[in-house]
Amino acid sequence: MSDLDDFKATFFDECSELLGELEEQFAAIEAGDRTANRLNAVFRAVHSIKGGGGAFGFVEMVAFAHAYETLLDHVRDGRIELSDPVTVLCIRANDLLADFVKAARTGASLGPGYGADERAQFDALTRGEPIGSHGGDAGGAPMDEFDIDFVPVMVDLAPSAAAAPAPAEDSFANLPLTAERGHWEIHFAPHSELYSRANDPLLLFRELGNLGELTVTAKLGEIPPLADFEPYGIYCSWELTLVSPTATAASIAEVFEFVEGNCDLSIALLAGANNPPAEPTLDELAALVMPPVADDGPGLSFADLAETLKTEAPVRAPAAAPILLRPAEPAPMSAAEESDADRRGGEADRRTAVQSIRVDLDKVDRVVNMVGELVITQSMLTQQMDDTLRARYQELVRGLEVLAQTTRGLQDAVMAIRAQPVKSVFSRMPRLVRDLAQKTGKKIKLETIGEATEIDKTVIEQLSDPLTHMIRNSCDHGIETPEARRALGKPEIGTIRLSAEQAGGNILIAVEDDGGGINRDRVLQVARDRLVIGPDQQLTEEQIDNLIFAPGFSTATEVSDISGRGVGMDVVLSNIKKIGGSVHVRSRTGQGTRMTLRLPLTLAVLDVMLVRVGPSPYVVPLSSIVETIQCSRADFGRAPSGAKVLRVRGEYVQVVDLAERFELTGGAELANRFVVLCEAEGGTKVALVVDDIIGQQQVVIKSLEENFESIDGIAGGTILGDGNVALIVDVQGLKAQKLHKNAA
Amino acid sequence: MRVLTVDDSRTILAMLHHTLSNAGFEVLQAEDGQKGLDVLATEAVDVVITDINMPVMDGIEFIKNVRASGQHNSLPILILTTETSQDKRDQGRAAGGTGWIVKPFDPEKLISVINRVVH
Amino acid sequence: MDSLAYKDDMSNGSQVNVQNSLQLIAFSIGEQTYGVEITTVREIRAWNGATPLPNTREYVRGVINLRGTIVPIFDLRARFGEGQTSPTKNHVVVVMSVGEKWVGILVDAVSDILTVSKDDIHAVPEGNTMDTELLNGIVTHESRMVGLIDLHAVVSGAKMDG
Repeated sequence: MSDLDDFKATFFDECSELLGELEEQFAAIEAGDRTANRLNAVFRAVHSIKGGGGAFGFVEMVAFAHAYETLLDHVRDGRIELSDPVTVLCIRANDLLADFVKAARTGASLGPGYGADERAQFDALTRGEPIGSHGGDAGGAPMDEFDIDFVPVMVDLAPSAAAAPAPAEDSFANLPLTAERGHWEIHFAPHSELYSRANDPLLLFRELGNLGELTVTAKLGEIPPLADFEPYGIYCSWELTLVSPTATAASIAEVFEFVEGNCDLSIALLAGANNPPAEPTLDELAALVMPPVADDGPGLSFADLAETLKTEAPVRAPAAAPILLRPAEPAPMSAAEESDADRRGGEADRRTAVQSIRVDLDKVDRVVNMVGELVITQSMLTQQMDDTLRARYQELVRGLEVLAQTTRGLQDAVMAIRAQPVKSVFSRMPRLVRDLAQKTGKKIKLETIGEATEIDKTVIEQLSDPLTHMIRNSCDHGIETPEARRALGKPEIGTIRLSAEQAGGNILIAVEDDGGGINRDRVLQVARDRLVIGPDQQLTEEQIDNLIFAPGFSTATEVSDISGRGVGMDVVLSNIKKIGGSVHVRSRTGQGTRMTLRLPLTLAVLDVMLVRVGPSPYVVPLSSIVETIQCSRADFGRAPSGAKVLRVRGEYVQVVDLAERFELTGGAELANRFVVLCEAEGGTKVALVVDDIIGQQQVVIKSLEENFESIDGIAGGTILGDGNVALIVDVQGLKAQKLHKNAA
Repeated sequence: MRVLTVDDSRTILAMLHHTLSNAGFEVLQAEDGQKGLDVLATEAVDVVITDINMPVMDGIEFIKNVRASGQHNSLPILILTTETSQDKRDQGRAAGGTGWIVKPFDPEKLISVINRVVH
Repeated sequence: MDSLAYKDDMSNGSQVNVQNSLQLIAFSIGEQTYGVEITTVREIRAWNGATPLPNTREYVRGVINLRGTIVPIFDLRARFGEGQTSPTKNHVVVVMSVGEKWVGILVDAVSDILTVSKDDIHAVPEGNTMDTELLNGIVTHESRMVGLIDLHAVVSGAKMDG
């Protein structure tokens, strides 16, 4: 029985998880979050405990879980309000459930009365009585008084060869020869639903054949002329004759259990008929009437069916012509009425189903892209309007304004189709934190805020890995061991807060922990050892913190296998950059670390400044631009290293001449060029020198990697109104590159 | 013969695995409907057994998605359910489920139900 | 990979038949003729400029807009180490697919569609490093030597190091 013991161990492991989950969910529910998802999670947890408990025959646990589940089901669909007293009752029930699990594990019995009072309250509530009305009289009510329609069965897991279903031949052999044989007449006409649910008449016949001697006749009268033949049309029905002393209407109906409502079915007993029908056998007939290609689709292949029908069927079918006796007793059991009801129900379903449709994501993306192009065309048109045109064509101006508005509205509406709550990603994190807490021996609580915040589906899909990494990082490097925390006078349980909020055109997602903060000495040491920075390079605290995202920097190898898996936080940065976002980290020694992802609401459209560098157009994301300055007025200087710097309001800013950096010959005199002052992550600035500023516009981001590869300093490309490609400047990348080069 | 089992309960997955592999099936596992779809996208299976109550994507959605793909029209899908109330079962059938198995299942019954829906 | 595939059929005589033949798009760089399998060619268009890409090799001419997607253009002359092409409106970009990606090759002119037998494909003679690196084989067609371009090799290593 060691298998069973293994399963039990698995089950109890799972129970602890589920009980933990219950606790967590109710903590949130108590705090006022009563969203359907929480209730569903609660329901599922109790349901799983019940299901597993049933498999092992833990009767008391199952009975209690069942009553609790029934209550939760009522709460879930709104029949019972989740008022404070009900919540309290549920939390009490969770404790009791934990007791039942514990008792099952230790083999102890809690006695039949345990939890009976709560169960009585569940029952009263599900009957519609207000909570508390039941009073104390229910104490000690025996469990069998409750209406349990769910019977726990102890499972014998040892394979039992003797009890394996007997093959058909045996059933024939075992038939008592002298017995009066029941002669059943079955009419069976499948509907198309039967095939679309992958039920197969041949299998039903095979099973019927296990009950006795079966004769199958296909009725082919419905087959239309070739011209009208539809490949998935249902043209075949069957008359079956079953001769069996043991079969009953119920045992025959059971064979058709799975197809009830998906076929016309009548089962009738022919009185006094005891002549076993002659050849052909079931197999021959089944092979005859069931085209072998039925495997490949819900319908029958035209070619095979036509072939079979033309040649063989009309000849052979009469040989097994059914006896057309319509007996008065017993009444034929008909599924016709039920299927009528089904059809009506189906119509109602269809009416509600119209409210949502399933659309291929590609189709939505095509619309998103086209709307993106439309927005750009519209802004181009608007830019073409100079004052003269405005004065002359006022109607046109008004038209363009309306167009602009409508286009924006259209854009929002389309993006809303793709938007999803971040919950789908956030929901994976509690388990991760639990696992990591267990592995590291730390105590960690995860709080999530703003799960309902919506963000583009593509962004969501790209979010899971970076978030996992950040949370691993917090669990592994951030939160201290319970002992260390105690010694520091912190609560033993560390907290990781995962939050999402919308801020303007961005979504901010933050992972914040109350751990020890980034160990800057250590980070600096590692960065120097790995030549991420030069040996003498002086960095601000913020710059040091951001080093953890630098390529080549990973402290994972020597720390543990948790955060690592061989990749560092630079993967987070590159993933986030890929979707047009940025990462910012802020850390306070001894107090914790906060990492913030700034993500675009949509991936489709970017507001940019269009500039010229040499002969080429470039665009700089407007969100990163602080100001633009004519070079003739800019206050350039030289840093001690000889590098060019710009003095802005008392601050020295690194200068990147794009013409130099991109090796483009400009030819413009410095005085006529421009500085585009940008803010990179962490609030540090960089001054880009460009040859000319052309204007502002919106662009659709296109990937360079789709057909080429990524290029340092370039975040992607875009197509301008004239059809030419402009490259998008990666401000953060340019800065990081500079830092790296100086070091080398 | 390959079976895909989809259930968020590790216990049930383990028990299905035990019973089915003893009966000579090759068993694939998925913890929710979404993962089940992922498996079906790359693996060929002969029959699917799925739970109804699951996070991320429940069994009903899973079945709908399998059928909607159009590539698994003849793949038998058995609904694994403790729901004795008809409605879950009916929803599962309406979504395209081939049949059902009531939890807790006994091994023989499980195999015999599978044999009812696969060749 | 492709070159291996070509050699597989060496045993089947020299007659050109459907199974054993290859259709090529032939194009010229100066006096040289090169070819690619016709099934990889997506489009042929006149040169209309490209946006230069920084930090790439000289044979990467830049990117163009091909119906909304960005496609890189490789200067085949420069790729063979014979200096950049000075393109005019008469120069031609052959757009083709390499694996999942689409790329354009800048050539002087597209000359012909050739049907050749796989058996007539010969290994690239040792000697010219560029040829052995960038060609899958050489085929003689009506006394013309046609170099079979290995697209994967042509587009690799386009980024500057560092």
